[in-house]
Amino acid sequence: MHFDLQTIWAILVTILVAGYVVTDGFDLGVGILHPFVAKTDIERRVNINAIGPVWDGNEVWFITAGGAAFAAFPELYAALFSSLYIALFVVLLALIYRAVSFEFRSKEESEGWRKFWDQSIFWSSLIVALLIGVAIGNILAGLPIINSHIKGDILHGFVYAEKFPMSFINLVNPFVFHGLFGLLVGVTTVLFIIMHGVSWLLWKTEGSIAERARSIGLKVWLPFVIMYVICTGLAYTISFKVKNPELAKKYLELPPDMFQQIASMLDSNGVLHHALFRFPVIEIALIVLAALCAVGWLIAVKNANGASAFLFSTLTFLFAGFAVMFGAYPLAVPSSIALEHSITIYNGASSHLTLTVMLIAAIIFTPIVIAYQAWVYKMFLFKISPESIKREIEEAAEH
Amino acid sequence: MDFVLLVSRLQFAMTAFFHFVFVPLTLGLSTLSAIMLTLHYATGKEIYRDMAKFWAKLFAINFALGVATGLVHEFEFGMNWSVYSRFVGDIFGAPLAIEGLLAFFMESTFMGVFLFGWDKVPKAVHLLAAWLSSIGSNLSALWILVANGWMQHPVGAKVEMAAAGKRAVMSDWWAVVFNPVADVKFWHTATAGMILASVFVLSVSAYHLLRKQHVEFFKKSAYIALIFGFIASVGEIIIGDIHAHEVAKTQPTKLAAMEALWDTKQGANVLLFAWADQKAQKNVVEIPLPIPGLLSFLATHDFNGKLLGAKDLQKMFEAKFGPGEYIPPVNFVFWAFHIMVYLGFFFVLLFLVGLIKYKDLENSPGFLKLALYSLPLPYIACWLGWATAEVGRQPWIVYPLTDDYGKILLPDIGLKTAQAVSPLTSVEVIITYILFAVTFTGLAIADFYLLSKFATKGPEKEAELY
Repeated sequence: MHFDLQTIWAILVTILVAGYVVTDGFDLGVGILHPFVAKTDIERRVNINAIGPVWDGNEVWFITAGGAAFAAFPELYAALFSSLYIALFVVLLALIYRAVSFEFRSKEESEGWRKFWDQSIFWSSLIVALLIGVAIGNILAGLPIINSHIKGDILHGFVYAEKFPMSFINLVNPFVFHGLFGLLVGVTTVLFIIMHGVSWLLWKTEGSIAERARSIGLKVWLPFVIMYVICTGLAYTISFKVKNPELAKKYLELPPDMFQQIASMLDSNGVLHHALFRFPVIEIALIVLAALCAVGWLIAVKNANGASAFLFSTLTFLFAGFAVMFGAYPLAVPSSIALEHSITIYNGASSHLTLTVMLIAAIIFTPIVIAYQAWVYKMFLFKISPESIKREIEEAAEH
Repeated sequence: MDFVLLVSRLQFAMTAFFHFVFVPLTLGLSTLSAIMLTLHYATGKEIYRDMAKFWAKLFAINFALGVATGLVHEFEFGMNWSVYSRFVGDIFGAPLAIEGLLAFFMESTFMGVFLFGWDKVPKAVHLLAAWLSSIGSNLSALWILVANGWMQHPVGAKVEMAAAGKRAVMSDWWAVVFNPVADVKFWHTATAGMILASVFVLSVSAYHLLRKQHVEFFKKSAYIALIFGFIASVGEIIIGDIHAHEVAKTQPTKLAAMEALWDTKQGANVLLFAWADQKAQKNVVEIPLPIPGLLSFLATHDFNGKLLGAKDLQKMFEAKFGPGEYIPPVNFVFWAFHIMVYLGFFFVLLFLVGLIKYKDLENSPGFLKLALYSLPLPYIACWLGWATAEVGRQPWIVYPLTDDYGKILLPDIGLKTAQAVSPLTSVEVIITYILFAVTFTGLAIADFYLLSKFATKGPEKEAELY
């Protein structure tokens, strides 16, 4: 590992994506739990108001992660979003419906209106959580991308070799490896998001909702752990093939010693085995830490301790996420066609000037953002319950 | 035109159209409600509290869709315009990322505090949150326009060959930030947001005053809107003039289309009305304003200044870039621009008359009706402004860098819209186009329904809850 600008940016983008999953993750979880923890209209209002003042700020992590990827790794941003076109479109559609569902739901008394937006909250949250995991899994397993510059085209950059509809179907096709891995990671992500939502509801609410959340949490823990183990085991089998080492040397733009190190791991057929496990000590340590935090989460939920459950679910994801980043490094999107067509954090990155300017901005503003978001969270961390919401509605009417 | 290109353009234009239904109101109304809240905390009067609450509620209903459509916008660059994104990402991505980090976090986080913090957080914190939310939304606009300004006038950059092909890279960050085109665009847009919000508040107030309900409440709201709107609309005319002067220097083909100017002229006239025949390269009808040399004066600050006409520009561009159409659709750009300008002058008059009649506003049904029915006009003006800017940029997605006299300095950085589109299939683009169209339309209708429901209901006591 090198501590150059590209690596720092790989870490920063990972932090932003992790920031998104950790912050928006719990409100996605609350959205998925919505029909299961809240049975009456007032309970549903409690559930939504548990994330009311913060979900919007949380979603900005997604926007900022997108912007940062655009600025720091434009080749990645351009190739990935045009390749995963329909999948990303579905995520965007779901995010739109989610945003307006929260805003519109309580603005009409009619039961049909509220039911419609309740359904919308559930499905949009579920789809976003699932597809984020599907995307991560597919990318890790390698996508059929080609560097068109190798073929003499200087304008198109990295393009997808498959065409619609196969390009979309294969992302969730269990008979293609990257699709299968994507599906498994997707399900694991949904289970994690539910756990994280449980943490938040235990922390922020009391009464009927917190109780139901707790019992759901105790049920999803084991499936999550099993899925995480399966995904990790399957990730160990991922391998990539280098067809032309000369092209790889030229177009991956890796630092010479890093390229030598990877070249020395290739077998006689040019296959890079266990491609995601090239820093075994660090990666295994992170995976073990993630597993330990998952156990900590279970204990916290058993004791109905929301704050520590939240801390543990956050740490579970951070450790697991960074294990993934280390595993992929220095590849950003490996090509399943031939490794020399891959996007790395070097050939996908912006110029040194842009990375430097952006780094200065990130160093100044990220701590400020985290500080005021934490402060706002602290202000809104009073407990709510069906009783407290009823009281608030009555008091306002008398005011 | 290639189908994928056509649908991608339509989809982007549609997203922009919907995004700019919600954004300008956000820009201006956040400021107006922060002013009302300041008046409440400064005077202690309950009426200002109710006002801040009422207008902030409308702001919140409007805000969610602004975020949603903005999100789509950000990702559409990569989805539909991947060649553009990889070519310009080194420069264009930076302001977008900084917008998120510096502005949008601030706006969204503090908006939560403002909307939900009534009686829950200390007064000073609540007031600060209202202002930070308003500053955040305007800072957001600044960074987006730094990005957009760069497409119009790509300063501070050079072209190089990288691992994945040709791309533009940043050579001077401050040149990108202090791009004169970007900065004037920001003032133009932020001010437009203030005008729009003022007309919005005035129009909703007129609705209630016509019915003689909540008279004090809506008269006070209208007063704030009239003052704020008058200052903004007069300011906008000055800013608009500076902006047009900038366009004349940096994008000569856009200016020629905006003014339907075919022949190179000294002392050119402003046309009040024109209809062009694009193929024959001339105007079929034109009615000039009887002030000789006014266009030259506005564009070059010299009544006898020379302006390049579309015919000569076409020849110049052909010599530099090879055969092709380099003049944007003249009738479209001319009318988009001119109607926007006419509306700009109308807003000054509207606010001025309102201020004159203010003392007896509730008994001036003629003016109140005019104010009520003016509600769509600032929206139309905003859309037409964007249409002028973006259609006037064609056929370029990144306009080649020019010097102050329209001479092309960096031809290599010019990228045509037709080159910039992602290698997608027709099926993909048509699916997303139709579903976005249905979604945006449906949600916009629901949004307008809720806005009009709460706007016509008037102020009331209700808990701030989802």
